[in-house]
Amino acid sequence: MDVVPSPSQGAVIAVSDLRKSYGPLRAVDGVSFTVERGEIFGLLGPNGAGKTTTVEILEGLRRPDGGQASVLGIDVVRDPGTLKERIGVQLQTAALYPELTVRELITLFGSFYRRSLPASRLIEQLGLEERAGAVSRELSGGQRQRLTIALALVNDPELIFLDEPTTGLDPQGRRSLWERIEALRDDGRTVLLTTHYMEEAEHLCDRVAVMDHGRILEMGTVRELVGRHFSQRTVRFEARPQLTDTALAGLRGVSRVSHENGEVVLLTGDVPRTIGGLLELGDSLGVQGLDIAVRRPTLEDVFLQLTGRALRD
Amino acid sequence: MSLLRGLGPMTVANIKSFSRNREAMFWTLAFPVIFVVLFGAIFSGGGGGPSAIAWVDHDGTPGSAQLRAGFAQVPLFELRDADEATARRQMAEGEVEAVIVVPAGVGQGMRPGGGGPPATLSLYTDPSRPTTSQMLNQVVEQVVGAVNQRLSGVPPALTVEVRPLQTQSISNAAYFVPSILAMALMQLGLFAAIPLVAQREKLILKRLAATPLSRATLVTSNVLMRLLIAAVQTVLIVGVGAVLFGVAIVGNLLVVVGLIALGAVTFLAIGYLIASWSRNEEAATGVTSVVQFPMMFLSGIFFPIALMPEWLQPVAAFLPLTYLADALRQTMVGGAAYVPLHVGVLVLVGWLVASSLITARYFRWH
Repeated sequence: MDVVPSPSQGAVIAVSDLRKSYGPLRAVDGVSFTVERGEIFGLLGPNGAGKTTTVEILEGLRRPDGGQASVLGIDVVRDPGTLKERIGVQLQTAALYPELTVRELITLFGSFYRRSLPASRLIEQLGLEERAGAVSRELSGGQRQRLTIALALVNDPELIFLDEPTTGLDPQGRRSLWERIEALRDDGRTVLLTTHYMEEAEHLCDRVAVMDHGRILEMGTVRELVGRHFSQRTVRFEARPQLTDTALAGLRGVSRVSHENGEVVLLTGDVPRTIGGLLELGDSLGVQGLDIAVRRPTLEDVFLQLTGRALRD
Repeated sequence: MSLLRGLGPMTVANIKSFSRNREAMFWTLAFPVIFVVLFGAIFSGGGGGPSAIAWVDHDGTPGSAQLRAGFAQVPLFELRDADEATARRQMAEGEVEAVIVVPAGVGQGMRPGGGGPPATLSLYTDPSRPTTSQMLNQVVEQVVGAVNQRLSGVPPALTVEVRPLQTQSISNAAYFVPSILAMALMQLGLFAAIPLVAQREKLILKRLAATPLSRATLVTSNVLMRLLIAAVQTVLIVGVGAVLFGVAIVGNLLVVVGLIALGAVTFLAIGYLIASWSRNEEAATGVTSVVQFPMMFLSGIFFPIALMPEWLQPVAAFLPLTYLADALRQTMVGGAAYVPLHVGVLVLVGWLVASSLITARYFRWH
């Protein structure tokens, strides 16, 4: 499926036909997209989809084999030095000097830039006041993630790259980080993040691009993507041995039968008739007490539809 | 992207990281000092310190006390008063190296014009230690001669003045101090590989690469930090050598400092070379050990290369530590030359340049 980005004056990132191979592996295989000023843009895909390589090219850390990438109007290949002054970067699982304190690390990183924000302001902004004097190896996972975001903000950048920012956080830590990322956008900054958490993309991202095998499969708002692929709904219930996939596939309206976490997921264009048929089928086979839920399809369903595999594989 | 931007803070950050890492502090600072103290203590016995001598006085007159005062002036002796039985036991147990017995009647014989029969001192020495025994014999005879002379009132016709002359046979402690300093500089450089690879593995280097900090600044800050530690190591090792074992630097201080800096930077370059080879921290630790152990034992650190089996001696000629230790011994304490100084310096510069070039070509930042 070809995705042609519409050229735009407000584009903070413009990527066209980007390519990067490692030996025989085409990690990035003709990627094109644009990111507009002030949006949170998500690159989605399973591990190994090519998200990180794409982002690292945009950060000036890797040279592409082909294609163009311009970030804040700067050619990332020709002028990575200027680029690095103006962007903020958080790397996936990047550690920090373990023996330095939060304040020391923020001050240190600030010294690398022509212009930097005072450490105390970032410490306050990321809620690290109580841990400012703690060495980084003693921080919890959530505190460390907040510190890496503080470091990404130290040069007051217009554009921030976050690579899997909530990996390893508990649900509460994840929600609190989401709020901080939304606050960045509300400050007028642009955020490009990669994730393989669907809830994260649905909650945070104004637009997403779904990547797999080095290519972008789909791009748009979450609602657009779901709408484009599914005018249908999903009907879910716990699996019972009597209810065979063959029997379920024969129900009215059902276009697909799949399984997820011990649940049967029926994709249907006609929810009332499907449920009616399902209850009748259950009665005739002596199955009772089915707990049935109806949902709008999620990005997860879109991804399954696009790639034939689940995101978290 | 200037070299200076971030250099100061990055260097300070490196120093803080290092000084807060107790393990690194132990291996680079405490470990070499322990080596100097241990080897100095083990191998300097019999060389420099005074000999303990038991003094048994059966006479107990002012004359014998005068005689004791004469012996006490000899700096080679440390007199310990004891009765004869205790003295013999102490000698048997090795606590003293000799026993001098003053028989009763000595004071009487020493009185001016006393005219009695000549008094005889007994000196007990251990014939199984001929060097010590001979030395003690001579010194005791000299002291007795001097006392006789004074008693007879005739001025001496011939005296001897002792003057120091640096020879190529240096004391054991003087051998160890520059050698262990060289070993410490080697470890300081080689062990740089491990944190460097860890920083690459943990993506710290990549995170830094995403900032405007230049690679040259990062490398320079590391070199500055290691040079500072090298200076601290030098002060500690040379200081301990001077205070505990009296090892003084006899050579040109500027040359010594230059050699130390060259040694530190050369081994740091070899450490970076190891980091270029190693995929992860475990590999770096392994390679570092494999490289450092032969150097520790085959570079003439603990004993001169000439004492090594002949088939092993060519190995020493290949190891850079051989040349650093040799150069430091030559300049610091006037040790015997394995190769002339300029040859040693050339070999070290060769290692430095070669390691740096290979590292520049193959080092992966992320």
